[in-house]
Order: sequence, then structure tokens, then C-alpha cells
Amino acid sequence: MTLLHTELLSAVLFVIGLYGVLARRNAVLVLMSVELMLNAVNINLIGYAAFTDPGRVLGQVLAIFVITVAAAEVGLALAIILRLYRNRGTVNLNEINLMKW
Amino acid sequence: MLGMEQAWLQPAICAVAFVVIALPGRVLPRSGAWLGPLAILSAFVIFWFVLSDLLKNGPATFSFTWLEAGDVRIMWGMILDNLSVSMLGLVSFVALGVQVYSWAYMSGEPRFGWYFAVHSLFAASMMVLVLADNLLFMYIAWELVGLCSYLLIGFYYERRSAAEAAKKAFVTTRIGDVGMLIGILLLYKTVGTFDISGIIHAAQHVGEPGNPLSSVMLTVSMLLIFAGAVGKSAQFPLHVWLPDAMEGPTPVSALIHAATMVVAGVYLVARMFPAFEMAPTAMTVVAVIGLITALLMSFLAVVMTDIKRVLAYSTVSHLGFMMLALGSFGVGAAIFHLFTHAFAKAMLFLSAGSVSHGVHGKLDMREMGGLRSKMPVTFACMAIGALSLAGLFPLSGFFSKDAVLGTVLAGRGPVFFILTLVAAFFSAFYMARLVLVVFTGQPRSHEAEHAHESPVLMLIPLVALALLTIGATVLAFPIAGHANFGQFIYPAGEAEHFQLWLAGLSTVTAGAGLLMGWLIYGTHAISPSFFRDRFPAVQRVLEHKYYIDDFYQWVIDHIVLGVGGFVALFDRIVINDVGINGPGRSVVQTGNKLRLHVTGQLPNYAMVMVLGAIVIGVIWWLFAVRA
Repeated sequence: MTLLHTELLSAVLFVIGLYGVLARRNAVLVLMSVELMLNAVNINLIGYAAFTDPGRVLGQVLAIFVITVAAAEVGLALAIILRLYRNRGTVNLNEINLMKW
Repeated sequence: MLGMEQAWLQPAICAVAFVVIALPGRVLPRSGAWLGPLAILSAFVIFWFVLSDLLKNGPATFSFTWLEAGDVRIMWGMILDNLSVSMLGLVSFVALGVQVYSWAYMSGEPRFGWYFAVHSLFAASMMVLVLADNLLFMYIAWELVGLCSYLLIGFYYERRSAAEAAKKAFVTTRIGDVGMLIGILLLYKTVGTFDISGIIHAAQHVGEPGNPLSSVMLTVSMLLIFAGAVGKSAQFPLHVWLPDAMEGPTPVSALIHAATMVVAGVYLVARMFPAFEMAPTAMTVVAVIGLITALLMSFLAVVMTDIKRVLAYSTVSHLGFMMLALGSFGVGAAIFHLFTHAFAKAMLFLSAGSVSHGVHGKLDMREMGGLRSKMPVTFACMAIGALSLAGLFPLSGFFSKDAVLGTVLAGRGPVFFILTLVAAFFSAFYMARLVLVVFTGQPRSHEAEHAHESPVLMLIPLVALALLTIGATVLAFPIAGHANFGQFIYPAGEAEHFQLWLAGLSTVTAGAGLLMGWLIYGTHAISPSFFRDRFPAVQRVLEHKYYIDDFYQWVIDHIVLGVGGFVALFDRIVINDVGINGPGRSVVQTGNKLRLHVTGQLPNYAMVMVLGAIVIGVIWWLFAVRA
């Protein structure tokens, strides 16, 4: 396994996540896609750390930090989606235009 | 002991009377109006103490610092010399007489208390004007008397013509006042003081090295100050307001528009005379304006049919005489004429008020006639006043006119002199016409048939002024160690010498005027329409007052209102619509366009973010990586 493999995995994951964010209309699935993108970044961080600077664990520390933040963020986002569903009866993003002018 | 130092009490008492009548006066009996005559009476009493102190100790000035800021130091003070104290006496005496008269004349009128309040304010400001020893102080009083004039002309403000006349008087005099203010400020800028004595001192050394005042600057500022006098003293071409000011109650015309306020311009020029003297061009302008006014307005007094307007044009004409005398270097003659004219004209106006009181408010002479037997006291007083103004020996008007004529001949030469004689001739003529048309012949209206003499309270001031008109003759004789009153007023001037041929000539002129009046309006030997039929064009021009009012109206309608309309349009379109509302509207419109991109669709935002990231990435790749 080389750096290239981790980079490829990371890129594939990121693009899949991006596709999900742009194409999906279900808010929960969009959220999951965002998680995919975040984890693509984590893989990238760990891959670079392991292959270019194996003595230290800077990338791994940063990845754990990202996971922590992402967990908090998901908690918040799921709460918002839950409220949205309670109020509007849908989580379809096309039907939600609260921020329209 | 009361003396010159307490002269400020006179205006102060009247000002207090104004405040008391105007504010809590309502609750006092008769609206507190009696405070007015009381205040002016005490002022008149104080005047005698001031006068005796002046005669004993000579002229003095009292002043204190009013305002000090850095180098600017403005004093408030009063000047007490022969001129100002004499004027003080004139103002307080005539004001007293007129207030006593008004008590009877105005009884039963609405706003009785307010009338006396404004009268008191006027007396106070006029005395301040007379006493002021610096131009700034004087200017304040100058505007205050203008305000009182405005309030009293418009006393019957329910009547549209009265409101219009008040506005006209205010605006017309303001035109002159603006010039005066500019003149005062110019003098302050160059000389550095508002003090009259300081300005005169600088003017007397004009053109000398080290003196900031140049000859041109002196002439310009004197002309500007004279503009104020032209407005206030109703000189040509700003005379148009005075005849209209007759819309006010008649006692107001007697006090303000005959005896006191309108002579403020003459007083101003006399006060500043040593400075005027150093500006020969300004003096010539004063003389020419005075002559034009005296001559043209005496013609108009001949054709007027309203008794008060005859007197008004006569007043303007005689103010012209005073200005002419000043312009001919005769301060003494001018002030002498001011006094005799003030007494006679105040009395004539009060008599006119008495006449209109007797005939139930009518003012048109054509509806009077035959009042001599019904109003004997009024007739006697009016005759004395008319003869004095005509200049008949031995009334005081004769001596003052003589002094004016002598001054004009000595100072300006024969052409001015002859034209002055012409004006004097017409002065006698219209006075004869006034008295004969009103008092002789048959009554020409129902009211004139049932006329009655006025109450005693109105006749007392009339008789007092009539006696003064006769008694003022003593002013032509040695007084208080001076050759005559003129010399007393302005000791630096040369005394007028009584010249027999001049006196004869002026008597012949006055006699001719009176005789012509007698022939036309007394015996009807010449038909009153004799001249009208032969010179219809002249008649028309005179009846339209030389078309001056029409010309001003045209200027206002077409030029002032035209320019005003253009400015208003400019303001509306350029300033308001384009300048103020324009940017506001464009912001709103831009916002309306821009807000359309806010779709509220989350995927759209995400797409834009991705595209933005791609663009940034491409740019970074192009410029940072490849390079």
C-alpha cells in the first residue's frame, strides 16, 4: 500500500460525497454524504502522516480532532432535521425554502 | 439724583410696560393698557432731568462691555449730546400725546391692551435707537422699531389690505436695512469698531497713512448706511410703503409714520454726519435723493383724495426736505425741520383722526366738507398745522423751511434751490386743498352732515401740539448759549443767518401756493378740473403714482416670482428628485434585482460553493503550481 492508494481512496470517497451532497434531495442522505467527504479528508491526513512523517502522529491527532468536531456537528444537524420534519412533515430539500427572499 | 447717567431708565420703563401689558396684562383692569401712558409719562419726566443735567454738564457717553471674545470687544452704551437728548424729548413727548389721544380714539377696539403694549415697545426701541452710541446697538433698535411699525400697520389684520400693507412696509424697509447691515459690517471690518465716535474719528482722518479706512471704502459704506435711511425714512425709490402704511390706526400714523420712526433715517445721517461729510459722493447722493423725494412726492399729495394719504405723501416730501438739507451740509436745519415737521405733522394726523372719528370712519375727502362749524377745535388745529407746513410767518414751519432753503442755496446752488422752492409751493398748495376741501363748502355725505367734535381727551394732545407748533418758533432764536436750535444740535456747523430776501421769497412762494389753493378749492374761481382737463396725461401719471408701484408689482410678478419659480423647480427636480431620492431609489432597485438570486434552495448554494472552489483551484493551479 502506498501513498497513491490512500490518495485515490480519499479522492473517490470525496467525489462520492460531493455527488451525494449535490444530487440527493433527502436531507439525511445529504448529511451522510457530508460525512463521507469529511472522512475522505481524514484518510488523506492519515495517509500523508503515515507515509511522509512516520515518526510523529500529527495527522492522526488532527483526524481525531476532525472526527470529534464532525460528531458534534452531526448531532446539531440531525436535531435541525428532526425539528424540520416535525414542523413541515418533510425532509425534501426542494420543498424547504425558508431562506428564500 | 436723576441725571444723564439714568437716561437708560426711559426706554427701560417703557420696555417693562410692554412686557407687563403683553404678558399678565389680561388680568388687570382695562387689559393693563393704562401702564403705557403711565410709563411714557414717567419717561417724559425723566427727560427733563436729563435735559437739565445736559445743559449743566455738557455731552457725555456711558458704556459698558457687552461682549468680549478674544480681540472682539462690543460695547453697549448711550450717547447723550444735544442731538440725542432733543430727540429723546421729541419721542417721549409725541408718544405721550399720541397715547393719551389713543386712549379715547381706540376705546372699544379689540386688542386694546395689545395696542398699548406695542406702543410702549415702540417708544422703548425708538429711545434706544436715539441713545445708542454704536451702530450694532442702533441696528437692533432700528429693527425693533420696524417690527413695531409692522405690528401696528397690521393692527387690523383681519382686513386684507392692512395685512398686505404691513407686509409691504416690512419688506420694503428690509431692502434698505440689508444695505445698512452690510455697511455696518464693512465699517467694522475696516475700522474694527461699531462705535460711532470711533468710526467718525477714522473717517475724519480718511486717506492718511496708517488709517485702514480708504476714501472709496468710506464712500461705499456711507452709501450702504444711507440705504438703510432711505428705506426707513421712505425716500425715493423705497417710499412706496409709507402711503400704504396708512392702513394702521390714525394715531399710529401720527406717531410712527410722521413724527418719530420715519425720521430715524434722518437722525442716522445726522448722527453719522461727520463721517458723511468726508464722503462728498455720498453727500451728493443724499442731496439728490432728498430733492427727488421732496419734489415728486409733493406732486402726488396734490392728487390724492384720501385724507391720510395726502398727509402721508406730504410726510415723504418733507422727509425729502430733511435729507436734502443734510445733503447740503446743514445738520442743524435738517433737525430743526424734523422737529417743526414732527409737531405739525403729528398734529395733522391726529386732526385727521379726529375728523374721521367725527364722520364715522370715513377717510375720503370727497365725502367730507363743511366741517368747520361742527368741529371748531379740530379745524383750528389743522389750520395751524397746515399753515406751519406751508411755511407761513410766524409759525415754526416758516423758520425751519427758511433754514432748509438757506442751507440748500449755500450748499448746493441755485438749481437745487429753485426745485426746493417748487416743492415748497406745492406743499402750501396741497395743505390749502386739504383744509379747504375738508372744512369748507357744503357737507357731501350723510356722515359729514351729522359730524360731531371729538372727546376732550383727544383734543388735549391736539391743542398741546398746536401750541408747540406755534411755540417751536423760539427754536429759531438764540437758545442755551447757541445762535439757534440748529447750532445747538450741531455746534460744529455754521449758524444760519436770517436773510430777509430769502424769507420774503419763501413767504411769497407759500402765499402763492395757498392762494392757488384758495382760488381752486375755496372760491372755486378756478375749476378743480381746470388742470385735469388740460393735462390728462399728467393727471394719469400722478394718479398712478408715477407707475412706481405698478413697476414694482411687475418686477415681483415677473422677475422675482419667475426666478423663485425656477429655483423652486430646480430644488424639486435636481436637489430633491435627483440628488436625494435618486440614490435611495437606485439602491432599492438594485436590491430588488439582486435578491432574486436568493432562492432558498440548499443544493443551489452547495453547487455555487463547489463551482467557486473549482474556480479557485484552477486559478491556483494556473498561477501558483504551473508557474
